[in-house]
Amino acid sequence: MLAIQVLINALVLGCLYACIAIGFSLVWGVLNVINLIHGSFIVLGAYLAWGAYNSLGLSPWYALLIAAPAFFVFGYLLQRLLLNRVITAPVLVTLTLTFGLDLILNNAMIYYFKADYRKLILNPPTGSISIFDVVVPVDRLIATASALALTFLLYLLLRRSKVGRAIVAVRLDRDAAVLMGVDVKSIYAIAFGLGAALAGCAGVLMALIFPISPLTSSAYLGKAFVVCVLGGLGSVSGALAGGILLALVEGVGSVYLGPAHAVTLSFVLLIIFLVVRPQGLLGRKGFE
Amino acid sequence: MFHPRLAVSAFSASLLLAAAGLGATSSMASAQDVIRFGAPLPITGPLAPEAVKQQQGYDLWAEQANKAGGIDVGGKKYKVEIVYSDYQSNTPRSVQTTEQMITQDKVNFMFGPFGSGAAKAASTIAEKYKVPMLAATASSSQVYDQNYKYLFGTFTPNDTLTTPLTQLVKAKAADVKKVAILARNDLFPLAIAQEMEKSAKANGLEVVYFEKYAINTLDHSATLSQIKSLNPQWVFVTGYTNDLLLIRKQMVDQQMKANVVTMIAGPAYQEFIESAGQSAENISSASWWHPAEQYNGKDIFGTTANFVKLFKDKYKLEPDYAHASAAVCGALFQMAIEKAGSLDRDKVRDELAKMDVVTFWGPVKFGANGQINSLEPPVFQIQAGKPVVLFPDAIKQGDFKLGVN
Repeated sequence: MLAIQVLINALVLGCLYACIAIGFSLVWGVLNVINLIHGSFIVLGAYLAWGAYNSLGLSPWYALLIAAPAFFVFGYLLQRLLLNRVITAPVLVTLTLTFGLDLILNNAMIYYFKADYRKLILNPPTGSISIFDVVVPVDRLIATASALALTFLLYLLLRRSKVGRAIVAVRLDRDAAVLMGVDVKSIYAIAFGLGAALAGCAGVLMALIFPISPLTSSAYLGKAFVVCVLGGLGSVSGALAGGILLALVEGVGSVYLGPAHAVTLSFVLLIIFLVVRPQGLLGRKGFE
Repeated sequence: MFHPRLAVSAFSASLLLAAAGLGATSSMASAQDVIRFGAPLPITGPLAPEAVKQQQGYDLWAEQANKAGGIDVGGKKYKVEIVYSDYQSNTPRSVQTTEQMITQDKVNFMFGPFGSGAAKAASTIAEKYKVPMLAATASSSQVYDQNYKYLFGTFTPNDTLTTPLTQLVKAKAADVKKVAILARNDLFPLAIAQEMEKSAKANGLEVVYFEKYAINTLDHSATLSQIKSLNPQWVFVTGYTNDLLLIRKQMVDQQMKANVVTMIAGPAYQEFIESAGQSAENISSASWWHPAEQYNGKDIFGTTANFVKLFKDKYKLEPDYAHASAAVCGALFQMAIEKAGSLDRDKVRDELAKMDVVTFWGPVKFGANGQINSLEPPVFQIQAGKPVVLFPDAIKQGDFKLGVN
């Protein structure tokens, strides 16, 4: 029974990890930017959900509707006004710029929200459902479903819409896309905006599950990074595969080796992937 | 296209930031009648919330001391000035910062950096320059076993928290036989967990689970499922507020129930109680001080109640043991300096060493190794959203309640 419980825990957690990583993977895959501000976007999204619930009484489901457009605009402007200026420079420059932006955003959050840990407590609580002694918390199930829905929406957008095809085209061959009349700078901004919107939505969902503090941003960023390397860049399903693989390794590792070694094990896996299969489980060029 | 201008401005911005950080440490006071106290703190980085607490405690004491005209040194009043410096939650840097404060900032006396690890490291510097150092948040006995002459600390050893707790559980809950211990893999939380293991075994309890979790663990579901399958009657978890909030939430998610659930150090903090809400009910804990205590002190704050009131007026929040310990360190320095009637470091050190006084923090007397040995740390439990003291009997407010759902 313990084995089944651990497996179910890992599946649910894996979808949460995918939710954390999907926006990061999009930006990395399309723009070739390692967006270090991603973790802080998630935390900001969590604060948005927390504030909307505690001061306006808005449930996190509505907060999702605010977070998505607000973060899209924020991300779009950030790319348009700042990142686009250095986008063609070596990767270290964009890395440094997002690092700096992350320092600013993170410290601004520490200043305004304090470093205290907060928790969004739904009233009434959502509780857990149990089937044959296997327990699954409802809020995690909802977050998992939302993560899958967001992933599917992104897939549809990239597959079916004109903007989506343009994003994929830019990723595949920037110069050819320019010749075909694609406005590359605006596509970059849209892709970054989408990445930010996904991070903001992830933050809203994580607010239901994890304590909220600016200090947690690095933990989210770390998970996003590992998930992307394991799952591979450039595919929506890669984030999902990477997330579930990571959660499984952590879950099984903490039961059989002890929780202190679960993290070690996940990083050992990361190194093995970097050496043996650098493109990840489902990685490919372009974004489909 | 590479924009060198941007890169340069980003670089110079970071230089500016660094300079601003340095500037904070070197604001020299020119006035003669000032006593300077050095306080190295982890103002940024993962320990930042702890630094805020200590800073609030020091600031409250400095404000009260200055409001009363300052510290009386042989009839002449000296104002208190606290020199802060950020060591960025980086222990080696706390050592450098301490040396810099003593040699460049010319502080008269030192407060210790946060926690046992950094305090032990920095105390070496204080000892070298013969500067009395009061550590507000160092409990591990390894900090004091160097037998330094100039180091004093206001936390009793870790086992003074777990032993009374175990005895209380043993007395009130006879059917508690199996204990599961889960510890954050970090100096203080791990030390407390190891003491708990010893206390449990000494009292005939079976330790069915003892594991550490890594710092920054984002999910505990697998670990908790495993603990649940072992059916312990007592779940003992150590960590900081973030960990304990997450673990408590995941225990509820997994429908874990136990007669006794103990968490150290979260429940001592108001933010834990608020954020955990209903799930904090009947969680037990222990700490070095509690605002419900009633001591009638000889220090500048006087009674515990007066300290709590002054603190609440200034910061609009309930003080916890970290705030109080920082404030009492200031108050102890003040008493030692006034008694010595001099700013001579050795004379003040001698006064600290022979101190035997009641404060709002409790009775203060330091052992030969410098660690306080007069304090009886309280055991408490969250009941109806409020912490209720269960032990020691002299300040007991309620009875131990069993059952955490």
